[in-house]
Amino acid sequence: MEELSLNVLDVAQNGIAAAATLMEISVTADSGEDSLVIEIKDNGRGMTPEQLESVEDPFFTTRTTRPVGLGVPLFKMAAEQSGGRFEIVSKQGTGTAVRAEFGLTHIDRVPLGDINSTIHTLVTFNPGIDFVYSYTADGAGFTLDTREFKEILEGVPLDNPEVSAYIKEYLIENMKEIGFEV
Amino acid sequence: MLVGELASLPGFVLVNNGEEPERSIESVYCCDLLSLVMGRAPAGGAWVTVMGNVNSVAVAVLADVACVVLAEGAAYDDVAEHRAKDKGVALFKTDLPVFDAALLIHSMLGNRDD
Repeated sequence: MEELSLNVLDVAQNGIAAAATLMEISVTADSGEDSLVIEIKDNGRGMTPEQLESVEDPFFTTRTTRPVGLGVPLFKMAAEQSGGRFEIVSKQGTGTAVRAEFGLTHIDRVPLGDINSTIHTLVTFNPGIDFVYSYTADGAGFTLDTREFKEILEGVPLDNPEVSAYIKEYLIENMKEIGFEV
Repeated sequence: MLVGELASLPGFVLVNNGEEPERSIESVYCCDLLSLVMGRAPAGGAWVTVMGNVNSVAVAVLADVACVVLAEGAAYDDVAEHRAKDKGVALFKTDLPVFDAALLIHSMLGNRDD
């Protein structure tokens, strides 16, 4: 995909489809290690060992509308193409964790893209799911935890237009403050 | 021009026959970003790329292209070849650059007598 944030959206959708109630997403850039690590962890129903074994195979898909599923295979390819690696662990009844590591400055590393919009979309379109999103670049970072937001909001839903606008602003402002975009 | 006839072009090597060597090539399409190819490669086109992994084979199936042409001397990996056989996807390769390979196919489309 043109942006890694679209891969994040795609993988997160898998977790939502697997009935996750908590989704943890982290983006960590490290200049010293020359690495960019994206982790997406959910507490959904997880995969069977058979499903896990074939999830990196594009001809394996749980969907019935088309014969191939390229979400995970393309994410893996994007990582390996930049000199990184890809790992997925899953346990039935526990959830699934995806970890993709990229070469931060590798010429073939796809840009992260508009991660703020991806997170904002996930959070506001799935008000029933808790999200913990953290962005860290060379030690500086911030976290958005919708559980904290919900506690403060006392029942006002996250898809309320004003709350939604605030969340978008929160993401953009915090990212700006770090001043390190990948 | 038919898929099976591509092998006769100078510098083109047949890697896998596919299930439809008699299929007509309708157009030529070039792109290496698989997520784009998925949605934009025209059905029946000859897709010229440098990506020779199994994901390309899956994209070829999804987009229903007539064949895959791997240019720039790139190589298909074993899994890709195996899956192409399995799924009946026609594969070719050539040392030509992407543009030259596509241009050559394109020039043949104008002369078709099918």
